[in-house]
Amino acid sequence: MNISLEHVSFNYPAGVQALSDVSLDIVAGESVAIIGENGAGKTTLARHLNGLLRPSSGRVLIGETDTRTLTVARLASRVGYVFQNPDDQLFERTVAAEVGFGPRNLGLPASDAKFAIQNALERVGLADEANSHPYDLHVSQRKLVALAAALAMTTPIVVLDEPTTGQDAEGVERLGQIVDSLKADHRTMITITHDIDFCAEHFERVVVMAAGRILVDGPAAHTLAQAAALAQAEVEPPQMIRLARALKLDASPLTVNEFIEVWRSNRTSTRSADS
Amino acid sequence: MTSSFSLYAPRASRYHDLHPLTKLAISAAIMIAGAGLGGVWPAFAVFFAVALPLAIWGKVAISLLRAVWPIALPFAISLFLIRGFIWPGGTIIATLGPISLKAEGLEFALAALGRIVAMVSAFLLLSLTTAPDALMLALTERGFPPMIAYIVLTTIQIVPRFQARAATILDAQRSRGLETEGWLPRRLRALLPLVTPLILSSLVDVEERAIALEARAFSRVGVKTSLLVLRDTPFQRTARWLIVVILAAVMGLRFVPGIAP
Amino acid sequence: MISVRHLTFAYPLTSTASLWDVSFDVPAGQFCAVVGPNRAGKSTLCYALSGFIPHFYRGEISGEVVVADMVVAATPLAALVGKVGLVFQNPFNQITGARMTVRGEVAFGMENLGVPREDMLIRVNEALEMVGLSGLADRSPAQLSGGQQQRLALASVLVLRPQVLILDEPTSQLDPLGTREVFTVLARLVEAGGTTVILVEHKLEWVGAFADRVIALAGGQIIADAPPRDVLNSPEAAAAGVGQTRYTQAARRARESALSTAAGALPVTLEQAVRFFSSRSVDEHIA
Repeated sequence: MNISLEHVSFNYPAGVQALSDVSLDIVAGESVAIIGENGAGKTTLARHLNGLLRPSSGRVLIGETDTRTLTVARLASRVGYVFQNPDDQLFERTVAAEVGFGPRNLGLPASDAKFAIQNALERVGLADEANSHPYDLHVSQRKLVALAAALAMTTPIVVLDEPTTGQDAEGVERLGQIVDSLKADHRTMITITHDIDFCAEHFERVVVMAAGRILVDGPAAHTLAQAAALAQAEVEPPQMIRLARALKLDASPLTVNEFIEVWRSNRTSTRSADS
Repeated sequence: MTSSFSLYAPRASRYHDLHPLTKLAISAAIMIAGAGLGGVWPAFAVFFAVALPLAIWGKVAISLLRAVWPIALPFAISLFLIRGFIWPGGTIIATLGPISLKAEGLEFALAALGRIVAMVSAFLLLSLTTAPDALMLALTERGFPPMIAYIVLTTIQIVPRFQARAATILDAQRSRGLETEGWLPRRLRALLPLVTPLILSSLVDVEERAIALEARAFSRVGVKTSLLVLRDTPFQRTARWLIVVILAAVMGLRFVPGIAP
Repeated sequence: MISVRHLTFAYPLTSTASLWDVSFDVPAGQFCAVVGPNRAGKSTLCYALSGFIPHFYRGEISGEVVVADMVVAATPLAALVGKVGLVFQNPFNQITGARMTVRGEVAFGMENLGVPREDMLIRVNEALEMVGLSGLADRSPAQLSGGQQQRLALASVLVLRPQVLILDEPTSQLDPLGTREVFTVLARLVEAGGTTVILVEHKLEWVGAFADRVIALAGGQIIADAPPRDVLNSPEAAAAGVGQTRYTQAARRARESALSTAAGALPVTLEQAVRFFSSRSVDEHIA
């Protein structure tokens, strides 16, 4: 299921122009990260993906459907949106019931729902907490419950709003694994994130936004190397790219391993050049 | 970013410079007179002869009218239609097909409208010209419990955020397939997933806010000072007492049988 | 300035202690970071140092906490708040909302403490200056951005001139700009000298750059207490869930693959990583 934003502009009722002529095409199975400072329009853009916002001009297509023709609840079968604050949605007495809310609303048959819930809980590592009360868990675990709740809806497209906030090192790593496993399932992943290293390590494509417009849109290695655009968006480059740049290496490594490769081959070549 | 709930509109006006309790007394007088005096005209008289001129003096007349209008108009229309036309017996003054307009009904509607306009304008006159924290300071200086004053002030600033959060919760649950439109049983079923997160997350918030309050020594017992300084004059003090006395007298007369309807 | 002896604390109705036999001292003027996985007891420690445990949160407590020469358990909270400032995660919940302007909000604590008005006026301006909010003094707190609100919360605490400032993940809900704003204020504060800072953070690059000392907490116990360079790259801390910057991970990978024989502690910050990866080290294995 492809996504297409065609010349989307959006004004909030108060008159604030939050998006200006934004066009974006996302192919099924892509993993895209949207970065930029608060107020750049990232959340506004994301909310157009499941119909929470309708463009003031332009249109948004999910699959071949214009989002204006479906309610948010109907679009929920195609786009799973994970909100930043889990406490904005938790209301059931057990984690399992909470995760099952989405599947129940979508009318999944009971056995399919059960499977989806179990699958989702295992994927986020909370299978043991299925019968716990969500508020007995730490807030970082509640975030994973909210994530599981969206995953259980088995939508082809998943939108994550700041998934790593409040997570510790293990939590961020688990999120990375979850994203990778969803990519392996060919789910389309779109995330808004401030964690630039998480972004570099798990997302193939990066969109940089500032003041309601897209500044850069392209493969991660290409986009995250655009120092000027990132500076304009008030974003620091990932640690490995910063290190490569500081060492005058002509490359944009996205992961630790890539950096090691770049550094190693650079030393090999300089050594050969020396000798 | 949400703006606060306060209607306060700062202006360089002498009415604004009055002590908060003076403005409170004036608005209370307008409200009581407007609501308590019988008949059609006293309430409108209070509005046009007292509230509006004071609003003009306070340079908030336009804001006041702009706020009164959307409240008064629906009331006016429904009162006029419901009371004006549906009045048992009474004197007919006009006919519209099968239904007729009654003089008593019209009188009732106008009287009710007058009261509403007087009361709303009294409230707006106070809100537009008085900063909430100045009013709370004036009250706590005279023994009003600081905790209640705090609750009033913080509520004014919290309500918009509360509303924003309720909207976010609605969005989150809709994004999980919750249908909120349609027939009543479905809408009722939608209540729990909408209200529960609001209550639960507010409880978490309340705890943090209580800590924040403690961290600013709110419950310290001892002399407290104030950054804000309220200016009062003997004239205003006398005027306030005078207002109270006159009001009491007028209301007393009102309830003495035989005088005024 | 701070002395903690055998502090053990369990929240009511829980079977495990959130803090277990924790002991450490912090000298005046030190910038001490506290790191560790979630639920390690970091927030609990913040509350114990600022007096909210035991005065606000009851529970089973043993051991002793002394801050600024005051025994925390025996000193009323109102007396502690003048000496120990606490800043936590959610910017909005820390703004009391007791006043309608930024200036009023900052002054609120001083009003409660009975500070004379002339002093309040001066100190409010100083505090706003320190956090960079001077131009917004008459704005309503509800109209500020998240980063600005967090700076307002900081100013409201700084204005009370605490000797100890405790911050519990102050940047976790902020964007990179907001994070930078808060850390800039902290850096300025530490440079101005005097204040003892206890900072709980997950953003290890910042911790490596600012902290004099890092205490690693896991499962309610201190598992490491040393300068950043010795804690943030230790395998034990990593195993306990502390996490490492990518710089540390890259250096470790290089060393493990025998691609580098650069000596010394693994790098934590960018500058340290540059030095590590630039060092002329003998490695015949390559080429």
